Amino acid sequence: MFLFKLMSYLQGYLLILVTGSAPEKFVNMSAGRGIYLWDITRVSDSAVVMKVHLRAVKPLRHIARRTSCRFRIKRRVGFPFYLAWLKQRKSLALGAVFFVGALYFLSSFVWFIEVRGNDRLGVNEVLQAAAEAGLSRGTPKWRVDPGRVEANIGEKLPLVSWTGVYIKGAKATIEVAERTVPGEEDRRPANIIAKKSGLIKEILVLNGHPVVKEGDTVSQGQVLVAGAIPPPEEPLPPGGVKKPGEKPKPVQPARLVHASAIARARVWYEGYGESAVIETGRRLSGRSETRVSMKFYGKEIILAGSQNIPYELYEANTLVKRVPEWRNLNIPVELITVKYYELVDYKEDHGRAGARGIAWERALADAGSKMPPGARIQEQWMEDVSTGPEENVVRVKAVIETVEDIGEEEIINP
Amino acid sequence: MAWHDYKKKIKRQFSEFLEIPGDVMLDLPKIVLFGNIKIFIENHRGIIEYTTEKVRVNVMEDEVAITGENLLLRNVLPDELCVEGKIKSISFL
Repeated sequence: MFLFKLMSYLQGYLLILVTGSAPEKFVNMSAGRGIYLWDITRVSDSAVVMKVHLRAVKPLRHIARRTSCRFRIKRRVGFPFYLAWLKQRKSLALGAVFFVGALYFLSSFVWFIEVRGNDRLGVNEVLQAAAEAGLSRGTPKWRVDPGRVEANIGEKLPLVSWTGVYIKGAKATIEVAERTVPGEEDRRPANIIAKKSGLIKEILVLNGHPVVKEGDTVSQGQVLVAGAIPPPEEPLPPGGVKKPGEKPKPVQPARLVHASAIARARVWYEGYGESAVIETGRRLSGRSETRVSMKFYGKEIILAGSQNIPYELYEANTLVKRVPEWRNLNIPVELITVKYYELVDYKEDHGRAGARGIAWERALADAGSKMPPGARIQEQWMEDVSTGPEENVVRVKAVIETVEDIGEEEIINP
Repeated sequence: MAWHDYKKKIKRQFSEFLEIPGDVMLDLPKIVLFGNIKIFIENHRGIIEYTTEKVRVNVMEDEVAITGENLLLRNVLPDELCVEGKIKSISFL
């Protein structure tokens, strides 16, 4: 049926009004001569409306004469008529063609260039290198050679290890992968000092003169590895005893280096947490209500939601939306959305052990928040903080022991 | 007329003997009714009357009368006919 309708539309059909004493005869004769009629409807005693294909209209004239009927075209439907209508409006048709043509023409240019994957490299540098190879905004797509652009970017920017240039629609994407270049080595003389206090577990000296040993307790700011390497002590000549009166050798100055070392130490972090045995307070019940209202010249009109808040205790979250001011125009309308969250009083008895567990969790979290992100926890334990008489609160101290690199560079001032 | 009846009788007997469907051999109309909204008549011989309440169709020697409301002829082909609307009755006159 859909196919039939589509074909009818493409071929064009007419809605004709047949009047006469016997339109049935007209229909019969048309059908007999192979003229297809459809949707025949009687509109009055002497008139019938029907649909007929455009090409079958001419023979209908003879049929009408022979059956003494008259027919009048009521409506023309279909593509051929649309085409005829369009012929009278040449400028419109031309405009449509021009529009499509312009769209096609303009879409054959590169209008947008996106640079992706650049981290240290500026977008402008990449774009400039691309422009030198013929890819810039407004370039026709057929003139862009992605291979050449890729080669040029790779040549001009030594930081780029790989480039990909894709053109999709009116947008060109330049994807670059940057090389990791080793940074300039810092050669200024420096010490390694302790970032924080701890117990040295292991120390690996890469450069410099170690001052502390494994097992030493160090405090914050203490030098672990010195950047100044003292000259080697000269051994005494074999069997020789230092003769009195001999001239002491000139003291060679210490060699200054940029010390580097890995100094792993055990570090302790303490955290404190407490929890009430019987806890009372207010918390969200999970129920909420939204009220949307409109404010107009100080008057508030509720659009949705109930007028009075159904909760005794609640927490409100207000969101006001207003039309942005422009010049001196100020539209006095505000849309206010208030979300009410119900609160309920609660009283919970954790018991001594439960409260202790909660306090322990809190203390651990407190201690954990002081730890650097990369530290490895070695051990953790809990210490009760007793405050004398039994009370409603359980206080707990958590200690976390970690092993981490506590070394920090410190430039030696000359 | 007698000759005509005799010929018809022979034809019917022949078709019954060979088990050929009647609409092929005897040129009978084939009427298909879809609920009360659509009726399909094959092998018709033309429309006699058409109004929104009544459609009469010539089939061989008989006449099929369809009554209903808002009837319309969905399509008309030389030997095929489709009537749509609210059908109330079909009768052979």
